Amino acid sequence: MIRHHPDNNLLVEYASGSLPWAMSLAVSAHLQLCPQCRRENEHLNHIGGGLLEGCEPQETTGDALDRLMQRIDAEPTAGGATGPERAPESPKSRSRNTRDDRDPALARLPRVIRKLIGDNRPLKWRRVSPSLKTTRLTTGQDRYEVAFQRICRGGKVVEHDHRGREVTLVLYGSFSDADGVYTPGDFLLREPGEVHQPIATQDQECLCLSVVEAPVHVKGPLGWLVNPLLSFRPA
Amino acid sequence: MQQTQNRDDDWSKLLVLVGTRQDRSAFERLFHHYAPLIKGFHYSRSAQAFSSEAADELVQEVMFRVWRKAASFDPSRASANTWIYTIMRNCRIDMLRRNSRRQDADGCDVEVDDIWDESPESQPLLVLQHRRSQRDISEGLRSLPAEQSHVLEKAYMEGKSHSEISTELGLPLGTVKSRVRLALKKLEAILSKQGAS
Ligand SMILES: [Zn+2]
Repeated sequence: MIRHHPDNNLLVEYASGSLPWAMSLAVSAHLQLCPQCRRENEHLNHIGGGLLEGCEPQETTGDALDRLMQRIDAEPTAGGATGPERAPESPKSRSRNTRDDRDPALARLPRVIRKLIGDNRPLKWRRVSPSLKTTRLTTGQDRYEVAFQRICRGGKVVEHDHRGREVTLVLYGSFSDADGVYTPGDFLLREPGEVHQPIATQDQECLCLSVVEAPVHVKGPLGWLVNPLLSFRPA
Repeated sequence: MQQTQNRDDDWSKLLVLVGTRQDRSAFERLFHHYAPLIKGFHYSRSAQAFSSEAADELVQEVMFRVWRKAASFDPSRASANTWIYTIMRNCRIDMLRRNSRRQDADGCDVEVDDIWDESPESQPLLVLQHRRSQRDISEGLRSLPAEQSHVLEKAYMEGKSHSEISTELGLPLGTVKSRVRLALKKLEAILSKQGAS
């Protein structure tokens, strides 16, 4: 059962479109796992609909409709009615990579995470410590570091803190820290400076999506020195 | 009291006509109703999230997507206003993203519609009873204290994060957060009360 959810303020930022891309990705993955927050999100969209209906109308330019109809007519399929739009899977996501395909931790993931993996495969895992592996994910933005963190069975990650806000979404297995046990779907937001020490449970390894606010102005050859992921030191 | 509700149902019916038959006169009526609202949402006397020109461009793009996606509109799941709102929001994110994206973007294929995914399979099984609540939400919004509706408008219409709102209004972040939460609580109370009646 999911016990940790994004709070309503975060959901408002998501539903209104102001939440940064990478954070929104984590919220979206949570929504795909959590019916309770989906209902709340629906309610928040509804507020958007109410504001749209109630706002003060402004006249558009006189030729707006003509321009639009011209564009619609120029569409090869003569417009609409092609059913729900789904972007085709990217060629990269179809490329063979049997190791990722056989990975039990990657077998059942929210759709948006599968898409993300498709864009990043084959996944290259980097061993940070005997108990922690990580792979950075490109997501089309650079404000946040997005990565999978993988803690082996019973593995301990050394106590650490971070410079920016950090979201952790459990995707497989479970881990615990001083505050509790976290299972798939759990969404944790930690503010800068909060210290924690995750430990994976004994029976299963644990896979999490982590989104960490990247330090600004870090470019160039020494950038890796302040890479937040390196704040995970060997345990 | 039925007025608004019936009107929203009318817009839903028009959307269905566009989706099933590419009905142009239905689409034109939708355009005449929604285009000025979409523009007003982003550009008005009180708030200019967009320039008048950018708001016009947004109108074009949103209504184009409404035409293209109308077949996926399901009136049993969303009201016309809410459905168009989600298309408009995704469109705006796309537009802002295109404008700010660096040249060396990392070639990731995750798109706005993947993250802000309003497809039927991402919807809850128990959908809000929107037929009733579309009217109620509009009344609820009007009944909010000004300071609460103000932060909601800043968030939704100007697309500002809580911390941007706090900077702009010179309020502590905690105050902005609690005003938003109070507004939501009040709207939910209104909806559940009217739903029970
Ligand atoms: Zn939730």
